[in-house]
Amino acid sequence: MSLSTPILIMLAGALAGAGLFYGLNRRSRTALVMGALGGIAGSLLFMVPLNFCMFETERTTLDIILGLILIVVGVLLVVIPLQWLFGRFVERRIAFTGSQAGTFKGTFTPFLLLAPTIVILALFLYYPSLDTFRLSTLLYRLGAKRSAFVCLDNFTALVDPDYLRSVFITLGLSLAIVVLGLSLGLLIATAAYQPVKGARIYRTLLIWPYAVSPVVAGVVFALLFNPAGGIINYVLKNLFGITIPWLNDPTYAPWAVIIASVWKSLGFNILFYIAGLQNIPKDLTEAAAIDGANAIQRFIRVTFPLLSPITFFLIITNMTYAFFDTVGTVVYMTGGAGPLGSTNTLIFRIYQLGVQNNDLGKAAAQSIVLFLMVIGLTVIQFRTTGERVNYGGA
Amino acid sequence: MTTLTETQLQAPAASAGLMKRLLPKRLGVHIFLIISCIVIGFPLFYAMIVSTQENADVYRYQFTPGNKFEANWDIVVNKRNIPGYMLNTVIVAVAVTVGKTVLSLLAGLAFVYFRFPGKWLVFGFVLITLMMPTEILIIALFRFVNALGWGSTYLALIVPFLASATGTFLFRQHFSNIPVELCEAAQLDGATPLQFLIKVLVPISWNTIGALAVIQFIYVWNMYLWPVIIIQDQVHQVVQVGLQQLQGNDQASSFGPMMLGAVLASIPPILVFVLLQKQFMSGFQLSTDK
Amino acid sequence: MLNRKAMALVMALVMVLLMAVPAFAQEPAQIAVWVAFGTARLDWTTQKAAQFNAAFPQYNVVVEGGLTYEGLDQKIKLAAEQGTLPGIVQYNEVSTTLARDSGNFKSIADALGDRTEVNGIPANFDDFVAPVKNYYTLDGKFTSMPWNASSAVMFSNMNMLKAAGIETIPATWAEMEAACETIMGQDGHPTYCFTWPNHGWFFEQWLAQQNASMANNDNGRSARANEVAFNSDAGYATLSWLKSMYDKGYLYYGGKKDGDSWDYVDQSFLPGTEVAMAIYSSSDTAYYTNTGKTNGFDVAASRLPYNQDAAGGWTGNIIGGGSLWLVNGLTQEQEDGALTFLMWLTNTENAAEWHQITGYFPVRQSSIDLLSTDGWYDVLDAAGTSQVWKDDAAVQAGKGTSWFGANPNFIVAAQQVADSQSTPATQGAVMGAFPDIRSIVTAATDTVLLTPDADVKAILDQAVADATKLLQEYETLNAP
Repeated sequence: MSLSTPILIMLAGALAGAGLFYGLNRRSRTALVMGALGGIAGSLLFMVPLNFCMFETERTTLDIILGLILIVVGVLLVVIPLQWLFGRFVERRIAFTGSQAGTFKGTFTPFLLLAPTIVILALFLYYPSLDTFRLSTLLYRLGAKRSAFVCLDNFTALVDPDYLRSVFITLGLSLAIVVLGLSLGLLIATAAYQPVKGARIYRTLLIWPYAVSPVVAGVVFALLFNPAGGIINYVLKNLFGITIPWLNDPTYAPWAVIIASVWKSLGFNILFYIAGLQNIPKDLTEAAAIDGANAIQRFIRVTFPLLSPITFFLIITNMTYAFFDTVGTVVYMTGGAGPLGSTNTLIFRIYQLGVQNNDLGKAAAQSIVLFLMVIGLTVIQFRTTGERVNYGGA
Repeated sequence: MTTLTETQLQAPAASAGLMKRLLPKRLGVHIFLIISCIVIGFPLFYAMIVSTQENADVYRYQFTPGNKFEANWDIVVNKRNIPGYMLNTVIVAVAVTVGKTVLSLLAGLAFVYFRFPGKWLVFGFVLITLMMPTEILIIALFRFVNALGWGSTYLALIVPFLASATGTFLFRQHFSNIPVELCEAAQLDGATPLQFLIKVLVPISWNTIGALAVIQFIYVWNMYLWPVIIIQDQVHQVVQVGLQQLQGNDQASSFGPMMLGAVLASIPPILVFVLLQKQFMSGFQLSTDK
Repeated sequence: MLNRKAMALVMALVMVLLMAVPAFAQEPAQIAVWVAFGTARLDWTTQKAAQFNAAFPQYNVVVEGGLTYEGLDQKIKLAAEQGTLPGIVQYNEVSTTLARDSGNFKSIADALGDRTEVNGIPANFDDFVAPVKNYYTLDGKFTSMPWNASSAVMFSNMNMLKAAGIETIPATWAEMEAACETIMGQDGHPTYCFTWPNHGWFFEQWLAQQNASMANNDNGRSARANEVAFNSDAGYATLSWLKSMYDKGYLYYGGKKDGDSWDYVDQSFLPGTEVAMAIYSSSDTAYYTNTGKTNGFDVAASRLPYNQDAAGGWTGNIIGGGSLWLVNGLTQEQEDGALTFLMWLTNTENAAEWHQITGYFPVRQSSIDLLSTDGWYDVLDAAGTSQVWKDDAAVQAGKGTSWFGANPNFIVAAQQVADSQSTPATQGAVMGAFPDIRSIVTAATDTVLLTPDADVKAILDQAVADATKLLQEYETLNAP
């Protein structure tokens, strides 16, 4: 590869960085220089470790597009924190003058207190994160004699109908688990929060599945749905005369997994909704009742909006659960991928590639994609629901 | 027609008064809750029944306990040593729970009761880890932990999980709500930060500690993916993975031992959760009786 | 002054260590064995290890099991990474290349060197039956110790077959279809005619029967394989036949469960009501025969049905099962102990006993000869047997008669393998990434069966493309 590509990239990075900084920082000259330097650093952030490989002549258009995206992301990743630091640098002079009530003295002590946390997070979360990026550019198999650098092939290989299908399966499963889990949870909570006799016993009997592991849920439901001796089909056959091939049919297998997962997460949802319902001030619902609203109207207009912080919280936790923690359940119920790959979720793919096939490079690449998806979904979540969340109630 | 209807209506109405006294209030709510409890409880209850049966009982849909409990118990407890795996899990879960609580308390103390340069940077450093699920880093983490020589040891199951963004935030939140006068009073008495933590903060934070402990204990107890990868040694293996031993791969899997194992493995986390329910609720400031 | 003190301390430490060394030396050498078995087989192996430890007190063999082959493969790889491999591990036949390429194992021939015996246990490898010996002899070296060798067979519920008026068990695909037509045409017929575990191994067996290879370069035997080739006519015929049986409602398919679908076959065949025939591994001949008896029906084993339209008719079948590998880098003492255990565990008596409680065919000719005599019980009993063996109903019932005479089901697999022509196809493929390629075949079969109007050719071609890619990646990283 000629030297022209890196120089071109650095120039573009410098221009972009300088432009960004210049615009954001009242057009000072220092900002111009800092922005240009930041832009160069940013454009090289991914390119140097990758050795500009996606611009080699034999690469596809997809590689080049990904390369350009990485340059843009790199520039933003450097320039935005730089801008933030620049801003804080100005404020800092004011912020750290004088001592404040209710704090201890000493600048060394807090770091000592934080050291174990910081060290562990750095070693066991940050370092593996960076290593994941490195692994994702390799053809790397555990136990193999060598590894090979494959540029972004592990990522471009994901532009594939099979992978896309897994994305949809994961989203579909998660959506079903979240919607079913939350609505059932809320329904049961509206009954369980009422001050009836024995409320405490009811509550305990309703919430305990939260403590059951995904593996146990998988083991137990694999028995309930078993083609031979499965009790759910026995009941269905005797009541309605139908037999459903739960674990062996691409239409039903995901539902079997959803039912098991919802069962496991239901206790958690009930618990939080009960708490949320108890915190709603009586006078609000009573006022609505005086205004002539019936029970359902009261629920829709008053109760549900007041529960929105809890709902928001539960959506996030249930989504995380559906994305990551269902592996154990799926492995025991459908053996993972399921009939015609109908329960082949993104996290199971990573498990299969990384753990069963020891294909660490591809697994690392898929981990990064899943990671970006989760962040993306959380952000969308915040944008759409977060802003409308009513923090009044409690 | 009309009179008839009225008398018909009145008669039940009179007895309804009596019924009302005999039946619990809000009968509908009770019925709904009882049905919910049964449906939710059924899977584990059925697992308990099967844990006393042999496969033939399962195939003929027998709903009463069978007579194979002792044989299944022998397999689960003596032959496949599930209690050994459970003991390992207890060791790991308790170590992580205690360690994480301590580190989170220290971090919470630093964030609320100290002012230091770069506080927000450090806070951001901890905050971002909320978005880094271990499941995603697991491949790289495996390589790193092996490089440390910790493969197949308890250390591999404990140390990476000792720091927690969740715990740090929980305590930071909790401490911020405590009146500053407490700290000022402690400083007047000449207390060091650690003394203040142990003598003042911890005693008023039991609910938060309890809530974090419940979450962490259950999280660690139910961990599956990480031990599958890092522990290649039955002596240190945890119960969620140990359950595989009951699958009996070379002959038709016996449901009985499998279910017995599943039930046994669920008892500790359920107990912890049910017993610390109240702390859990109030620790998250969810309960009305604050 | 300080120096002298330090010197004294060092001396004291050395003394303590010197005194401790003989104490350590008297401890038996630890040899861990990882096998992929749970239940009765694990119990048998554990009991055998105890017996071995009693006979050779200088060693302590500890057996760990309870995983699937796939699970154990993974465990071995991870342990190799951690440096925590045991002394002996079991691999199934499909992992042979992978095990050899990993460099983690020492061939039995190398470990043995010039010796003809270790600790009094002779190494007469010529006694191993030819297909087994050939399979595990790589580059002219006896590489791993054959232990559990199996072949694909079919179990029939004779009560059901007789009720349908079928006296001879079907031997070809066409005969299967005809038999199924008869069975399913009856009143009170079983829910399905036959079943089989969806596991790529059976596909490989059917390919071998039609003298077709899995991979290029003579199935990887003349040079390293770098392309797979199972989308041949033979592969197409196999999947098409399964598909037509499934579509006609003859074949019961419980799902692939990622290669762990044996359970579904057990669950449907063993109660004696759901299916009439089950294609299976000979490894469970004992279990199938005995369970049938308990549940009130006769089980007959027969050879794996073959494609009567294949050019050469039936060519032969590949062996399956697994072998035991000796880990590299043990101490001399451990290595000798492991070697002794390997040879002892597969001696004439133990190989015979192992065959009787499972159905794996006897790996030694001397075991086959012994079990053909009337006096086998006393010979085995005198050699010291396990409780698992003594608890076996068939073993006890067979006392005093020829084992194979009284238990004809048990000789089927051995004969099927012995009668096979030796061609690259029937010797079995030697190639990298084979376990993953087997999973690809299993998944492709699943797709063919479950997709309505499946395009068998297209699915097979896609599977071959995926498998070739995996194989080539494997070669990039592992070829010498």
